[in-house]
Amino acid sequence: MGIEALADRQLTGGLAELPALIRRVVASRIRDANAIDDLVQETLARVMTAQARLDDSALAPYAVVVARNLLSAQWRQDVRFKQHAHRLIDLTDASRPEDQVLQREESRAVASALAQLPEGERQTLIAHEVEGQATSDLAAKSGSTAGAVAAQLHRTRAKLRVEYLLALERTRLPTERCRPVLLSLSGGERRRQRELDAAGHLLECPECAGLSGPLLDRLDGHPEGEEAIIAVRSDRDVVRARQRGREIAAQIDFSSTDLTLIATAISEVVRNIVRFADHGQLRVRVIEDAARRGLLIVARDVGPGIPDVDRALRDGYSTYGGLGIGLPGVRRLMDEFSIASELGKGTTITMAKWVHA
Amino acid sequence: MEHSEDRSQHSPSSEDPETSIEHDQLLPELVAHLRDSRTELRQEWANRITEASLLSSMTPQEVFSEATTVYDNYVGVLETGSVEALQKYAQDLSERIIPRGVETHEVLGIVLFLRDVLARSLFEKYHKDFSLLNRILDAYEPAANRIANTVAVSFVQERERVIRQQQDAIRELSTPVLQVRERLLILPIIGVLDTQRAQQLTQQLLSAIRRHRAKVVVVDITGVADVDVAAATHLVQTVDASRLMGAGIIITGLSSEIAQTLVHIGVDLSKMNTVGDLQGGIEEAERLLGFAVRRVADGDRQPD
Amino acid sequence: MATVNQTEQAHQISVSILRQGAYLIASIHAALDDEELGRFQRDLIRQITKSRSRGVIIDVGALDVLDSFGSCTLRNLALMARLQGAVTVIVGIQPDVAFAMVHLGIHLEDVHTALGLEEGLARLDELTGAGGARSARGSA
Repeated sequence: MGIEALADRQLTGGLAELPALIRRVVASRIRDANAIDDLVQETLARVMTAQARLDDSALAPYAVVVARNLLSAQWRQDVRFKQHAHRLIDLTDASRPEDQVLQREESRAVASALAQLPEGERQTLIAHEVEGQATSDLAAKSGSTAGAVAAQLHRTRAKLRVEYLLALERTRLPTERCRPVLLSLSGGERRRQRELDAAGHLLECPECAGLSGPLLDRLDGHPEGEEAIIAVRSDRDVVRARQRGREIAAQIDFSSTDLTLIATAISEVVRNIVRFADHGQLRVRVIEDAARRGLLIVARDVGPGIPDVDRALRDGYSTYGGLGIGLPGVRRLMDEFSIASELGKGTTITMAKWVHA
Repeated sequence: MEHSEDRSQHSPSSEDPETSIEHDQLLPELVAHLRDSRTELRQEWANRITEASLLSSMTPQEVFSEATTVYDNYVGVLETGSVEALQKYAQDLSERIIPRGVETHEVLGIVLFLRDVLARSLFEKYHKDFSLLNRILDAYEPAANRIANTVAVSFVQERERVIRQQQDAIRELSTPVLQVRERLLILPIIGVLDTQRAQQLTQQLLSAIRRHRAKVVVVDITGVADVDVAAATHLVQTVDASRLMGAGIIITGLSSEIAQTLVHIGVDLSKMNTVGDLQGGIEEAERLLGFAVRRVADGDRQPD
Repeated sequence: MATVNQTEQAHQISVSILRQGAYLIASIHAALDDEELGRFQRDLIRQITKSRSRGVIIDVGALDVLDSFGSCTLRNLALMARLQGAVTVIVGIQPDVAFAMVHLGIHLEDVHTALGLEEGLARLDELTGAGGARSARGSA
């Protein structure tokens, strides 16, 4: 157990090498240094969002695929795909009156996707999502348990997302392996991804690579989890943000020590926003993968940005006239930590802590 | 495990008694050839290992020296038919290389390389006489496979033992924090101090300080063999955190290896209160406390 | 213990400053935002000057977080108090909080600490010389 846990930690630590990899991929295709920085950051942000749903071995290949997708999207100025991506999570948000054609297209895709589902699964999904029946009621009806129904719903949603995308993009999948790979990505099933070598497949199959973005890059990673969004404008928000963060963290089995580490980390990053940026926002939510649960904290600000991120992450570099602690200290408090900053625009810090068994 | 090895050891002769006489003549021939070609075959084998980037955590000299011993053991097994000596050596080798991160596939890989290098040399020597070559290979292959099996099994067994040992180290986490007298705690740390355990010890100690209202803690690390950088960092953090809570820490039994690690990570040892052995540490603690205890005792008598 | 002067400001529930003999005992009862922390700092220094205290105890036992800004403020407080001739002992840092502080890189090396109020008073006695001890403890 101990050794596996250690190995696991080293793998997630490998995330640190992603920026260099992504930069190589991007820089081999475009010249403009600013555009390279933008794309590297954008890619990293997406990989971080998808991280909880991906097997560790798939992180680097996924990063490559995302970078390629972003590059080609930039050529095509293709924003349409992106618009669909967030519709995926909300079936009831059906209308954008300004674009009727698009809407018709979407309805067709949803209908087609629903038709692909087995009858029983479709009925359960509609009963839950559209008619609003609780999982416990559905379980009573089918003689199952609420947990089993929730798990089935999770798989059904994963399927629906895949079928919806296929219908929307009118994609034909070239190989037998494609659909299982896409399903494992959509459902965030890490073990299945490993078995199928999903990472390898993404690099070989352009169709799946194209679809992997919308499947993984969505913000509803844990549908049951509550996301706290705290606006940060003044120093009063520092205390408020860390108390709220601690409350959310306390919903899962963090030790009291971990709760204190988390609250302290939030306090530090939020204070950075107050001190250096005009305003910002903190998002905190519970995340989960096949093996563990954790807390994801994203702090964004609209501000001057950090001129030299590497230097800001070295000990002794004072972010303000304080004790010279700043970001390196915060990084030690958390299990995962990444920072993306753009001069003149702002900084995003993404960090996570896992519940240790 | 022993049972199956035993059986495989006798299998070539028991399987096919008719050819066993032939084996008796062929094997000495084979062994003689491998002894004659020792220098070049051993070198070729070492080259293959390096080319395949196996055993990359070892220096070329180390690889060559281990390769020599394995080679001689290998030929010895072919000659005597007994894997006992090889088994011992494989166990000893595993013990040395596992802590350096050598993996099962590497060990299996190098043994299979040796099998191939030797087989190819046999092929080159005997390829003109096809039937002799076949008989030689018939004699060689079962023995070679048995050797590969022995080495792999030894390695895996040793690895499992190491893993079990590490798990035990983790399990004995509940190191007791002992209260020797009022305000004085002793924390004897014994065994492997890895990161996970160090972190748990820190938390245990900090809450014990509050529970017992301790003013001085003697942390005795005489029983700790060595620490990595992360565990050493934890040790220092424990000292700092205890001080923030208002308790002083005396470290006893600091080995020169651990002291070096601490210096290496930038710890100013002069700021840490270290005393040679546990007895001296307790005396130092009592000296620190005695001062405080007398004064508090004086003050306490006054009001009532 | 008699209340010498509680601050008039609205945050008086969050902090209290009491005099005990030659010492001042300041307690923080709830998390303070930066502005409140700044006000606490000013009030305490004013009290030290006014009462010519020789020792100050700051009880932070109720705080569940001490981040770099909070620690920095405490440290500055101790330095300013020293300029007024008073020794400061910070008491009550919780185990989890101490753990988080050292991870963050905060050591407060030049500040005295003690486990609780009792230990803090004893520490002040040591630091200021025996005289303070008798009077302070006598009034307890």
